[in-house]
Amino acid sequence: MGPLIINDIISQNTNFFLAFIIGIGFGFVLESSGFSSSRKLAGMFYGYDTVVLKVFFTAALVAMVGLLFMSLFNWIDLDMVYINPTYLWSTIIGGAIMGAGFITGGFCPGTSFCAASIGKIDAIFFIGGMFLGIVIFAEAYPLLEPLYKGSFKGTPTLPQALGLKDGVVVLGIIIVALGMFWVGEWAEKKFPREEY
Amino acid sequence: MKPRLYLALIIIPLGLILAAVPANTTHPYKLSPQDLLEHVNSGMQYFSPDEVAHMLVSKDPSLVLIDVRSEDEYEKFHLPGAINIPLSSMLEDQWKDYINQDLRYNVFYSNGTVNSNQAWMLTRQLGYQNNYVLQGGLNYWVETIINPTAPPSTSPDEEIAKYDFRKGAGQALGGGAVVESSTQPAPALPKIAPRPKKKRVEGGC
Amino acid sequence: MSESRKPIKKTRYINPYLGGVLLGLVLIAANFVSGRGLGASGAAKSAVVATVNTVAPGHAENAQFFREYNASHPQGPMKAWLVFQMLGVIVGAFLSGAIFNRLKFKVEHSPKITSKRRIIFAVIGGILFGFGSQLGRGCTSGSALSGMGVLSLGGFISMAFIFGTAFALAWFFRKNWI
Repeated sequence: MGPLIINDIISQNTNFFLAFIIGIGFGFVLESSGFSSSRKLAGMFYGYDTVVLKVFFTAALVAMVGLLFMSLFNWIDLDMVYINPTYLWSTIIGGAIMGAGFITGGFCPGTSFCAASIGKIDAIFFIGGMFLGIVIFAEAYPLLEPLYKGSFKGTPTLPQALGLKDGVVVLGIIIVALGMFWVGEWAEKKFPREEY
Repeated sequence: MKPRLYLALIIIPLGLILAAVPANTTHPYKLSPQDLLEHVNSGMQYFSPDEVAHMLVSKDPSLVLIDVRSEDEYEKFHLPGAINIPLSSMLEDQWKDYINQDLRYNVFYSNGTVNSNQAWMLTRQLGYQNNYVLQGGLNYWVETIINPTAPPSTSPDEEIAKYDFRKGAGQALGGGAVVESSTQPAPALPKIAPRPKKKRVEGGC
Repeated sequence: MSESRKPIKKTRYINPYLGGVLLGLVLIAANFVSGRGLGASGAAKSAVVATVNTVAPGHAENAQFFREYNASHPQGPMKAWLVFQMLGVIVGAFLSGAIFNRLKFKVEHSPKITSKRRIIFAVIGGILFGFGSQLGRGCTSGSALSGMGVLSLGGFISMAFIFGTAFALAWFFRKNWI
Protein backbone atom coordinates (compact mmCIF):
# COMPACT_ATOMS: atom_id res chain seq x y z
CA MET A 1 0.00 0.00 0.00
CA GLY A 2 2.39 2.67 1.17
CA PRO A 3 4.39 4.67 0.32
CA LEU A 4 1.56 6.13 -1.70
CA ILE A 5 3.58 8.08 -4.25
CA ILE A 6 5.90 5.21 -5.09
CA ASN A 7 3.06 2.79 -5.70
CA ASP A 8 1.34 5.39 -7.88
CA ILE A 9 -1.70 5.66 -5.61
CA ILE A 10 -1.52 9.44 -5.63
CA SER A 11 -0.34 11.87 -8.30
CA GLN A 12 2.69 14.11 -8.17
CA ASN A 13 0.58 17.18 -7.47
CA THR A 14 -1.36 15.48 -4.69
CA ASN A 15 2.00 14.53 -3.23
CA PHE A 16 3.09 18.18 -3.20
CA PHE A 17 -0.22 19.21 -1.65
CA LEU A 18 0.17 16.58 1.08
CA ALA A 19 3.73 17.80 1.59
CA PHE A 20 2.27 21.19 2.41
CA ILE A 21 -0.23 19.67 4.87
CA ILE A 22 2.49 17.55 6.49
CA GLY A 23 4.61 20.68 6.73
CA ILE A 24 1.83 22.48 8.59
CA GLY A 25 1.73 19.63 11.09
CA PHE A 26 5.53 19.70 11.41
CA GLY A 27 5.66 23.46 11.95
CA PHE A 28 2.74 23.46 14.37
CA VAL A 29 4.22 20.73 16.55
CA LEU A 30 7.70 22.32 16.56
CA GLU A 31 6.37 25.73 17.52
CA SER A 32 3.92 24.54 20.15
CA SER A 33 6.63 22.37 21.76
CA GLY A 34 8.79 25.47 22.16
CA PHE A 35 11.29 24.91 19.35
CA SER A 36 10.87 28.51 18.22
CA SER A 37 12.92 29.74 21.19
CA SER A 38 16.67 29.55 20.80
CA ARG A 39 17.30 29.81 24.53
CA LYS A 40 14.96 26.90 25.14
CA LEU A 41 16.73 24.86 22.45
CA ALA A 42 20.16 25.72 23.83
CA GLY A 43 18.97 24.71 27.30
CA MET A 44 19.50 21.16 26.13
CA PHE A 45 23.26 21.65 26.31
CA TYR A 46 23.27 23.14 29.82
CA GLY A 47 20.70 20.83 31.37
CA TYR A 48 18.17 23.50 32.27
CA ASP A 49 15.70 22.53 29.57
CA THR A 50 15.80 19.16 27.84
CA VAL A 51 12.74 19.64 25.67
CA VAL A 52 14.84 18.97 22.54
CA LEU A 53 15.92 15.59 23.85
CA LYS A 54 12.39 14.61 24.84
CA VAL A 55 10.60 15.73 21.70
CA PHE A 56 13.32 14.53 19.36
CA PHE A 57 13.69 11.06 20.81
CA THR A 58 10.00 10.52 21.50
CA ALA A 59 9.32 11.37 17.85
CA ALA A 60 12.02 9.00 16.64
CA LEU A 61 10.70 6.19 18.89
CA VAL A 62 7.11 6.69 17.75
CA ALA A 63 8.19 6.73 14.10
CA MET A 64 10.34 3.59 14.44
CA VAL A 65 7.69 1.63 16.28
CA GLY A 66 4.89 2.91 14.05
CA LEU A 67 6.68 2.15 10.80
CA LEU A 68 7.67 -1.35 11.91
CA PHE A 69 4.09 -2.12 12.93
CA MET A 70 2.79 -0.76 9.63
CA SER A 71 5.27 -3.00 7.86
CA LEU A 72 4.01 -6.00 9.85
CA PHE A 73 0.47 -5.25 8.70
CA ASN A 74 1.72 -4.80 5.10
CA TRP A 75 0.58 -1.19 5.05
CA ILE A 76 3.96 0.07 3.96
CA ASP A 77 6.91 -1.46 2.16
CA LEU A 78 9.93 -0.31 4.12
CA ASP A 79 12.22 -1.31 1.26
CA MET A 80 10.74 1.53 -0.75
CA VAL A 81 11.22 4.12 1.96
CA TYR A 82 14.17 6.44 1.53
CA ILE A 83 17.09 5.52 3.76
CA ASN A 84 19.74 8.18 3.69
CA PRO A 85 23.01 6.81 2.34
CA THR A 86 25.96 6.67 4.69
CA TYR A 87 29.02 8.56 3.54
CA LEU A 88 31.05 8.11 6.69
CA TRP A 89 33.42 11.06 6.79
CA SER A 90 31.20 13.68 5.24
CA THR A 91 28.47 12.72 7.73
CA ILE A 92 30.86 12.94 10.67
CA ILE A 93 32.48 16.23 9.66
CA GLY A 94 29.19 17.73 8.49
CA GLY A 95 27.59 16.69 11.79
CA ALA A 96 30.40 18.26 13.81
CA ILE A 97 30.11 21.54 11.86
CA MET A 98 26.35 21.51 12.39
CA GLY A 99 26.88 20.94 16.12
CA ALA A 100 29.11 24.00 16.26
CA GLY A 101 26.44 25.90 14.35
CA PHE A 102 23.80 24.75 16.78
CA ILE A 103 25.59 26.02 19.87
CA THR A 104 26.58 29.36 18.28
CA GLY A 105 23.35 30.03 16.41
CA GLY A 106 20.87 28.37 18.74
CA PHE A 107 18.71 27.01 15.96
CA CYS A 108 18.70 24.27 13.43
CA PRO A 109 17.27 24.94 9.96
CA GLY A 110 13.75 23.65 10.69
CA THR A 111 13.38 25.49 13.98
CA SER A 112 14.81 28.71 12.53
CA PHE A 113 11.99 28.85 9.96
CA CYS A 114 9.45 28.27 12.77
CA ALA A 115 10.99 31.00 14.89
CA ALA A 116 11.19 33.42 11.96
CA SER A 117 7.53 32.89 11.16
CA ILE A 118 6.49 34.02 14.66
CA GLY A 119 8.72 37.08 14.47
CA LYS A 120 12.10 36.16 16.01
CA ILE A 121 14.54 38.53 14.36
CA ASP A 122 17.60 36.48 15.34
CA ALA A 123 16.10 33.54 13.44
CA ILE A 124 15.82 35.65 10.29
CA PHE A 125 19.53 36.43 10.55
CA PHE A 126 20.24 32.74 11.16
CA ILE A 127 18.39 31.88 7.94
CA GLY A 128 20.39 34.53 6.09
CA GLY A 129 23.58 32.96 7.41
CA MET A 130 22.35 29.53 6.37
CA PHE A 131 21.87 30.67 2.77
CA LEU A 132 25.35 32.11 2.86
CA GLY A 133 26.71 28.82 4.19
CA ILE A 134 25.07 26.89 1.35
CA VAL A 135 26.53 29.31 -1.20
CA ILE A 136 29.99 28.86 0.36
CA PHE A 137 29.58 25.10 0.12
CA ALA A 138 28.44 25.36 -3.50
CA GLU A 139 31.44 27.50 -4.44
CA ALA A 140 33.90 25.26 -2.62
CA TYR A 141 32.22 22.13 -4.01
CA PRO A 142 34.98 21.15 -6.45
CA LEU A 143 37.44 21.14 -3.53
CA LEU A 144 35.10 19.25 -1.22
CA GLU A 145 33.89 16.69 -3.72
CA PRO A 146 36.33 13.91 -2.75
CA LEU A 147 35.23 14.24 0.88
CA TYR A 148 31.57 14.64 -0.06
CA LYS A 149 31.45 11.57 -2.28
CA GLY A 150 34.10 9.49 -0.51
CA SER A 151 33.77 6.65 2.02
CA PHE A 152 30.40 5.57 0.64
CA LYS A 153 29.00 2.73 2.73
CA GLY A 154 25.73 2.08 0.91
CA THR A 155 22.47 2.56 2.75
CA PRO A 156 22.79 0.37 5.81
CA THR A 157 20.43 0.57 8.74
CA LEU A 158 21.61 0.32 12.31
CA PRO A 159 20.18 -3.21 12.75
CA GLN A 160 21.97 -4.33 9.57
CA ALA A 161 25.23 -2.84 10.80
CA LEU A 162 24.86 -4.58 14.16
CA GLY A 163 23.56 -7.79 12.61
CA LEU A 164 20.45 -7.76 14.79
CA LYS A 165 16.74 -7.89 14.11
CA ASP A 166 14.99 -4.51 13.67
CA GLY A 167 12.67 -5.11 16.63
CA VAL A 168 15.51 -5.96 19.01
CA VAL A 169 17.40 -2.79 18.12
CA VAL A 170 14.23 -0.71 18.52
CA LEU A 171 13.65 -2.20 21.99
CA GLY A 172 17.22 -1.30 22.89
CA ILE A 173 16.77 2.27 21.65
CA ILE A 174 13.53 2.58 23.62
CA ILE A 175 15.29 1.60 26.84
CA VAL A 176 18.25 3.91 26.19
CA ALA A 177 15.93 6.79 25.32
CA LEU A 178 13.80 6.33 28.45
CA GLY A 179 17.00 6.32 30.48
CA MET A 180 18.04 9.60 28.86
CA PHE A 181 14.62 11.12 29.59
CA TRP A 182 15.08 10.21 33.23
CA VAL A 183 18.52 11.85 33.30
CA GLY A 184 17.08 14.88 31.51
CA GLU A 185 14.33 15.37 34.06
CA TRP A 186 16.85 14.96 36.84
CA ALA A 187 19.04 17.64 35.23
CA GLU A 188 16.09 20.00 34.89
CA LYS A 189 15.51 19.70 38.64
CA LYS A 190 19.17 20.20 39.37
CA PHE A 191 19.63 23.27 37.16
CA PRO A 192 16.24 24.95 37.36
CA ARG A 193 15.65 28.06 35.28
CA GLU A 194 12.51 29.87 34.42
CA GLU A 195 11.16 29.13 30.99
CA TYR A 196 12.10 31.52 28.23
CA MET B 1 1.50 10.03 37.10
CA LYS B 2 4.27 11.57 35.08
CA PRO B 3 3.94 11.71 31.30
CA ARG B 4 7.29 9.96 31.00
CA LEU B 5 5.88 6.92 32.78
CA TYR B 6 2.80 6.90 30.55
CA LEU B 7 5.08 6.92 27.55
CA ALA B 8 7.18 4.11 29.00
CA LEU B 9 4.10 2.03 29.80
CA ILE B 10 2.90 2.23 26.21
CA ILE B 11 6.10 2.07 24.26
CA ILE B 12 8.01 -0.66 26.12
CA PRO B 13 5.33 -3.34 25.48
CA LEU B 14 5.20 -2.28 21.83
CA GLY B 15 8.98 -2.63 21.65
CA LEU B 16 8.77 -6.07 23.26
CA ILE B 17 6.23 -7.17 20.66
CA LEU B 18 8.47 -5.93 17.84
CA ALA B 19 11.46 -7.71 19.32
CA ALA B 20 9.50 -10.94 19.64
CA VAL B 21 7.73 -11.20 16.29
CA PRO B 22 9.66 -12.13 13.15
CA ALA B 23 10.26 -9.23 10.78
CA ASN B 24 8.03 -8.94 7.76
CA THR B 25 10.11 -9.81 4.76
CA THR B 26 7.36 -10.10 2.19
CA HIS B 27 7.21 -7.26 -0.23
CA PRO B 28 3.79 -6.09 -1.26
CA TYR B 29 5.51 -4.37 -4.18
CA LYS B 30 5.48 -6.87 -6.99
CA LEU B 31 5.78 -6.32 -10.66
CA SER B 32 2.87 -7.89 -12.49
CA PRO B 33 3.64 -9.56 -15.84
CA GLN B 34 1.41 -6.94 -17.52
CA ASP B 35 3.47 -4.12 -16.04
CA LEU B 36 6.66 -5.75 -17.19
CA LEU B 37 5.34 -6.31 -20.70
CA GLU B 38 4.18 -2.72 -20.91
CA HIS B 39 7.59 -1.58 -19.76
CA VAL B 40 9.36 -3.71 -22.34
CA ASN B 41 7.07 -2.56 -25.14
CA SER B 42 7.50 1.08 -24.33
CA GLY B 43 11.29 0.72 -24.64
CA MET B 44 11.73 2.75 -21.49
CA GLN B 45 14.62 0.62 -20.35
CA TYR B 46 16.94 1.67 -23.17
CA PHE B 47 19.76 4.18 -23.35
CA SER B 48 20.77 4.87 -26.94
CA PRO B 49 24.48 4.65 -27.88
CA ASP B 50 24.40 8.40 -28.59
CA GLU B 51 23.18 9.16 -25.08
CA VAL B 52 25.83 6.94 -23.56
CA ALA B 53 28.55 8.41 -25.78
CA HIS B 54 27.46 11.90 -24.78
CA MET B 55 27.67 11.02 -21.10
CA LEU B 56 31.04 9.32 -21.53
CA VAL B 57 32.53 12.24 -23.43
CA SER B 58 31.26 14.74 -20.88
CA LYS B 59 32.46 12.45 -18.05
CA ASP B 60 28.99 12.48 -16.54
CA PRO B 61 29.35 11.00 -13.04
CA SER B 62 25.77 9.74 -13.02
CA LEU B 63 26.53 7.06 -15.62
CA VAL B 64 27.70 3.61 -14.57
CA LEU B 65 28.31 1.12 -17.37
CA ILE B 66 27.95 -2.49 -16.33
CA ASP B 67 29.34 -5.21 -18.56
CA VAL B 68 27.23 -8.34 -17.97
CA ARG B 69 29.36 -10.59 -20.19
CA SER B 70 31.87 -13.09 -18.84
CA GLU B 71 35.14 -11.98 -17.29
CA ASP B 72 37.15 -13.16 -20.34
CA GLU B 73 35.11 -11.12 -22.75
CA TYR B 74 35.37 -8.12 -20.44
CA GLU B 75 39.15 -8.46 -20.34
CA LYS B 76 39.31 -8.51 -24.15
CA PHE B 77 37.27 -5.38 -24.67
CA HIS B 78 35.01 -3.20 -22.64
CA LEU B 79 33.65 0.31 -22.83
CA PRO B 80 35.66 2.98 -21.00
CA GLY B 81 34.99 2.96 -17.25
CA ALA B 82 32.71 -0.07 -17.38
CA ILE B 83 32.61 -2.46 -14.45
CA ASN B 84 32.13 -6.19 -14.92
CA ILE B 85 29.21 -7.96 -13.26
CA PRO B 86 28.69 -11.23 -15.15
CA LEU B 87 25.02 -12.10 -15.44
CA SER B 88 25.59 -15.42 -13.68
CA SER B 89 26.85 -13.74 -10.53
CA MET B 90 24.51 -10.78 -10.56
CA LEU B 91 22.59 -11.78 -7.45
CA GLU B 92 25.65 -12.16 -5.26
CA ASP B 93 25.70 -9.91 -2.25
CA GLN B 94 28.81 -8.04 -3.33
CA TRP B 95 26.95 -6.41 -6.24
CA LYS B 96 23.85 -5.41 -4.32
CA ASP B 97 25.04 -1.88 -3.64
CA TYR B 98 25.78 -1.41 -7.33
CA ILE B 99 22.49 -2.55 -8.76
CA ASN B 100 20.19 -1.36 -5.96
CA GLN B 101 20.89 2.36 -5.64
CA ASP B 102 19.20 5.63 -6.36
CA LEU B 103 22.09 7.90 -7.24
CA ARG B 104 23.18 6.94 -10.73
CA TYR B 105 22.02 5.41 -13.99
CA ASN B 106 23.26 1.87 -14.40
CA VAL B 107 23.44 0.86 -18.06
CA PHE B 108 23.83 -2.86 -18.71
CA TYR B 109 25.40 -4.01 -21.94
CA SER B 110 26.38 -7.27 -23.61
CA ASN B 111 27.25 -8.11 -27.22
CA GLY B 112 23.65 -8.09 -28.34
CA THR B 113 20.86 -7.19 -25.96
CA VAL B 114 19.76 -10.65 -24.83
CA ASN B 115 21.92 -10.89 -21.71
CA SER B 116 21.63 -7.24 -20.79
CA ASN B 117 17.85 -7.46 -21.05
CA GLN B 118 17.89 -10.48 -18.78
CA ALA B 119 19.93 -8.52 -16.27
CA TRP B 120 17.47 -5.67 -16.49
CA MET B 121 14.53 -8.05 -16.06
CA LEU B 122 16.12 -9.47 -12.90
CA THR B 123 16.57 -6.07 -11.35
CA ARG B 124 13.01 -5.07 -12.25
CA GLN B 125 11.65 -8.16 -10.52
CA LEU B 126 13.60 -7.24 -7.43
CA GLY B 127 12.09 -3.78 -7.54
CA TYR B 128 15.44 -2.03 -8.07
CA GLN B 129 15.35 1.27 -9.88
CA ASN B 130 17.65 3.16 -12.20
CA ASN B 131 18.85 0.20 -14.23
CA TYR B 132 18.86 0.46 -18.01
CA VAL B 133 20.07 -1.35 -21.12
CA LEU B 134 22.37 -0.12 -23.86
CA GLN B 135 20.24 -0.16 -26.97
CA GLY B 136 21.51 -2.69 -29.49
CA GLY B 137 24.42 -3.77 -27.31
CA LEU B 138 28.08 -3.58 -28.29
CA ASN B 139 27.34 -4.61 -31.89
CA TYR B 140 25.21 -1.58 -32.46
CA TRP B 141 27.71 0.56 -30.52
CA VAL B 142 30.43 -0.38 -33.01
CA GLU B 143 28.10 0.36 -35.91
CA THR B 144 27.05 3.77 -34.67
CA ILE B 145 29.87 5.15 -32.57
CA ILE B 146 33.07 3.42 -33.60
CA ASN B 147 32.38 3.07 -37.36
CA PRO B 148 29.54 5.43 -38.13
CA THR B 149 28.32 5.55 -41.73
CA ALA B 150 28.24 9.00 -43.22
CA PRO B 151 24.77 10.15 -44.13
CA PRO B 152 24.18 11.32 -47.70
CA SER B 153 25.12 14.96 -48.12
CA THR B 154 21.51 15.81 -48.80
CA SER B 155 20.51 14.80 -45.27
CA PRO B 156 19.14 17.38 -42.87
CA ASP B 157 21.66 19.22 -40.74
CA GLU B 158 20.82 17.23 -37.62
CA GLU B 159 21.84 14.01 -39.32
CA ILE B 160 25.20 15.51 -40.33
CA ALA B 161 25.73 16.89 -36.85
CA LYS B 162 24.92 13.50 -35.35
CA TYR B 163 27.43 11.87 -37.64
CA ASP B 164 30.10 14.39 -36.74
CA PHE B 165 29.45 13.81 -33.06
CA ARG B 166 29.61 10.07 -33.45
CA LYS B 167 32.85 10.27 -35.34
CA GLY B 168 34.40 12.55 -32.75
CA ALA B 169 33.10 10.45 -29.87
CA GLY B 170 34.30 7.27 -31.53
CA GLN B 171 37.81 8.62 -31.77
CA ALA B 172 37.75 10.00 -28.24
CA LEU B 173 36.51 6.72 -26.84
CA GLY B 174 39.11 4.52 -28.51
CA GLY B 175 37.98 4.30 -32.10
CA GLY B 176 38.94 1.35 -34.21
CA ALA B 177 38.83 -1.13 -31.35
CA VAL B 178 37.74 -4.47 -32.61
CA VAL B 179 34.83 -6.13 -30.94
CA GLU B 180 34.23 -9.80 -31.12
CA SER B 181 31.02 -9.72 -33.04
CA SER B 182 28.60 -12.40 -32.04
CA THR B 183 27.16 -14.59 -34.73
CA GLN B 184 23.66 -13.30 -34.51
CA PRO B 185 22.83 -10.35 -36.74
CA ALA B 186 22.08 -7.09 -34.98
CA PRO B 187 18.50 -7.33 -33.84
CA ALA B 188 15.85 -4.88 -34.87
CA LEU B 189 16.21 -1.89 -32.60
CA PRO B 190 13.47 -1.09 -30.17
CA LYS B 191 12.29 2.45 -29.92
CA ILE B 192 13.39 4.58 -27.01
CA ALA B 193 10.94 6.33 -24.78
CA PRO B 194 11.82 9.44 -22.80
CA ARG B 195 13.65 8.69 -19.58
CA PRO B 196 11.11 7.93 -16.87
CA LYS B 197 11.27 9.86 -13.65
CA LYS B 198 13.18 8.28 -10.85
CA LYS B 199 10.72 6.45 -8.74
CA ARG B 200 12.51 6.26 -5.48
CA VAL B 201 12.20 9.71 -4.08
CA GLU B 202 15.21 11.81 -3.46
CA GLY B 203 15.82 12.53 0.16
CA GLY B 204 18.16 14.83 1.93
CA CYS B 205 17.30 17.60 4.23
CA MET C 1 0.48 40.92 20.82
CA SER C 2 1.67 42.37 24.07
CA GLU C 3 1.92 39.70 26.65
CA SER C 4 2.86 40.72 30.15
CA ARG C 5 6.21 39.24 30.99
CA LYS C 6 5.88 39.19 34.76
CA PRO C 7 4.44 35.82 35.79
CA ILE C 8 6.11 33.23 33.61
CA LYS C 9 4.35 29.96 34.02
CA LYS C 10 5.74 26.59 33.06
CA THR C 11 2.72 25.73 30.94
CA ARG C 12 3.30 27.92 27.92
CA TYR C 13 4.21 25.01 25.71
CA ILE C 14 2.59 21.63 25.25
CA ASN C 15 4.04 18.67 27.10
CA PRO C 16 7.25 17.61 25.34
CA TYR C 17 6.29 13.94 25.27
CA LEU C 18 2.96 14.81 23.69
CA GLY C 19 4.84 17.00 21.20
CA GLY C 20 7.18 14.11 20.47
CA VAL C 21 4.34 11.68 19.84
CA LEU C 22 2.66 14.17 17.50
CA LEU C 23 5.94 14.82 15.68
CA GLY C 24 6.46 11.07 15.33
CA LEU C 25 3.00 10.74 13.77
CA VAL C 26 3.84 13.54 11.30
CA LEU C 27 7.04 11.69 10.43
CA ILE C 28 5.13 8.45 9.87
CA ALA C 29 2.66 10.31 7.65
CA ALA C 30 5.52 11.71 5.56
CA ASN C 31 6.99 8.24 5.11
CA PHE C 32 3.61 6.70 4.34
CA VAL C 33 2.64 9.30 1.76
CA SER C 34 5.95 9.99 0.09
CA GLY C 35 8.40 7.34 1.24
CA ARG C 36 10.64 9.96 2.83
CA GLY C 37 11.12 11.86 6.01
CA LEU C 38 10.93 15.50 6.92
CA GLY C 39 13.55 18.12 6.17
CA ALA C 40 14.47 21.73 6.15
CA SER C 41 17.88 22.52 4.71
CA GLY C 42 16.96 20.88 1.39
CA ALA C 43 14.37 23.61 0.89
CA ALA C 44 17.02 26.23 1.66
CA LYS C 45 19.28 24.62 -0.94
CA SER C 46 16.45 24.73 -3.49
CA ALA C 47 15.99 28.42 -2.78
CA VAL C 48 19.72 29.09 -3.18
CA VAL C 49 19.88 27.22 -6.48
CA ALA C 50 16.76 28.96 -7.76
CA THR C 51 18.25 32.34 -6.86
CA VAL C 52 21.54 31.59 -8.57
CA ASN C 53 19.72 30.27 -11.65
CA THR C 54 17.84 33.56 -11.91
CA VAL C 55 20.50 36.04 -10.85
CA ALA C 56 23.57 34.47 -12.42
CA PRO C 57 22.50 31.87 -14.99
CA GLY C 58 26.00 31.82 -16.47
CA HIS C 59 27.47 30.89 -13.13
CA ALA C 60 24.84 28.18 -12.64
CA GLU C 61 26.01 26.59 -15.88
CA ASN C 62 29.69 26.79 -15.05
CA ALA C 63 29.89 25.88 -11.38
CA GLN C 64 29.85 22.15 -10.87
CA PHE C 65 27.55 22.17 -7.83
CA PHE C 66 24.74 23.99 -9.63
CA ARG C 67 25.25 22.02 -12.83
CA GLU C 68 24.89 18.70 -11.03
CA TYR C 69 21.90 19.92 -9.05
CA ASN C 70 20.08 21.24 -12.11
CA ALA C 71 20.85 18.09 -14.07
CA SER C 72 19.28 15.94 -11.38
CA HIS C 73 16.24 18.22 -10.97
CA PRO C 74 14.84 18.68 -14.48
CA GLN C 75 11.61 20.14 -13.11
CA GLY C 76 13.47 23.03 -11.54
CA PRO C 77 14.72 23.50 -8.00
CA MET C 78 11.50 24.88 -6.54
CA LYS C 79 9.30 22.00 -7.64
CA ALA C 80 10.53 19.84 -4.81
CA TRP C 81 8.75 18.02 -2.02
CA LEU C 82 10.75 19.77 0.67
CA VAL C 83 9.92 23.22 -0.68
CA PHE C 84 6.19 22.58 -0.31
CA GLN C 85 6.74 20.98 3.07
CA MET C 86 8.74 24.01 4.22
CA LEU C 87 6.01 26.42 3.14
CA GLY C 88 3.70 24.32 5.30
CA VAL C 89 6.11 24.59 8.23
CA ILE C 90 6.04 28.37 8.05
CA VAL C 91 2.22 28.38 7.98
CA GLY C 92 1.97 25.78 10.77
CA ALA C 93 4.37 27.60 13.06
CA PHE C 94 2.53 30.87 12.45
CA LEU C 95 -0.79 29.22 13.33
CA SER C 96 0.65 27.83 16.54
CA GLY C 97 2.17 31.19 17.40
CA ALA C 98 -1.18 32.87 16.79
CA ILE C 99 -3.16 30.35 18.84
CA PHE C 100 -0.79 30.43 21.81
CA ASN C 101 -0.31 34.19 21.58
CA ARG C 102 3.40 34.22 20.76
CA LEU C 103 3.51 36.40 17.65
CA LYS C 104 5.95 39.18 18.41
CA PHE C 105 8.95 40.78 16.73
CA LYS C 106 11.91 40.46 19.02
CA VAL C 107 15.52 39.40 19.29
CA GLU C 108 15.70 36.71 21.92
CA HIS C 109 18.93 36.72 23.88
CA SER C 110 20.37 36.16 27.30
CA PRO C 111 20.23 39.32 29.48
CA LYS C 112 24.02 39.15 29.72
CA ILE C 113 24.59 39.89 26.03
CA THR C 114 23.42 42.57 23.61
CA SER C 115 21.08 42.06 20.69
CA LYS C 116 23.93 42.86 18.36
CA ARG C 117 26.09 40.09 19.77
CA ARG C 118 23.18 37.66 19.54
CA ILE C 119 22.61 38.52 15.88
CA ILE C 120 26.29 38.17 15.00
CA PHE C 121 26.36 34.73 16.60
CA ALA C 122 23.10 33.80 14.86
CA VAL C 123 24.65 34.62 11.48
CA ILE C 124 27.81 32.64 12.27
CA GLY C 125 25.71 29.71 13.45
CA GLY C 126 23.61 29.93 10.30
CA ILE C 127 26.69 29.84 8.08
CA LEU C 128 28.05 26.81 9.91
CA PHE C 129 24.70 25.03 9.80
CA GLY C 130 24.17 25.81 6.12
CA PHE C 131 27.62 24.53 5.23
CA GLY C 132 27.46 21.49 7.50
CA SER C 133 24.01 20.45 6.34
CA GLN C 134 25.22 20.32 2.73
CA LEU C 135 28.34 18.36 3.59
CA GLY C 136 26.45 16.01 5.90
CA ARG C 137 23.53 15.57 3.45
CA GLY C 138 20.87 16.88 5.76
CA CYS C 139 20.26 18.71 8.99
CA THR C 140 18.83 17.77 12.36
CA SER C 141 15.38 17.05 10.95
CA GLY C 142 16.32 15.60 7.57
CA SER C 143 19.27 13.46 8.44
CA ALA C 144 19.19 12.88 12.18
CA LEU C 145 15.46 12.72 13.03
CA SER C 146 14.14 11.23 9.79
CA GLY C 147 17.15 8.95 9.54
CA MET C 148 16.63 7.62 13.05
CA GLY C 149 12.93 7.11 12.33
CA VAL C 150 13.83 4.63 9.58
CA LEU C 151 16.76 3.24 11.63
CA SER C 152 19.34 4.47 9.13
CA LEU C 153 22.94 4.16 10.30
CA GLY C 154 23.72 7.56 8.79
CA GLY C 155 20.93 9.13 10.86
CA PHE C 156 22.41 7.84 14.12
CA ILE C 157 25.90 9.00 13.14
CA SER C 158 24.76 12.51 12.31
CA MET C 159 22.66 12.72 15.47
CA ALA C 160 25.64 11.66 17.57
CA PHE C 161 27.97 14.19 15.97
CA ILE C 162 25.57 17.14 15.94
CA PHE C 163 24.67 16.80 19.60
CA GLY C 164 28.10 15.56 20.65
CA THR C 165 29.87 18.60 19.18
CA ALA C 166 27.28 20.98 20.59
CA PHE C 167 27.72 19.48 24.07
CA ALA C 168 31.48 19.60 23.74
CA LEU C 169 31.45 23.28 22.81
CA ALA C 170 28.64 24.30 25.19
CA TRP C 171 30.98 25.48 27.94
CA PHE C 172 32.63 28.09 25.68
CA PHE C 173 29.32 29.67 24.74
CA ARG C 174 27.58 29.51 28.10
CA LYS C 175 27.43 33.29 28.45
CA ASN C 176 25.31 33.55 25.30
CA TRP C 177 22.55 31.38 26.65
CA ILE C 178 22.35 31.10 30.41
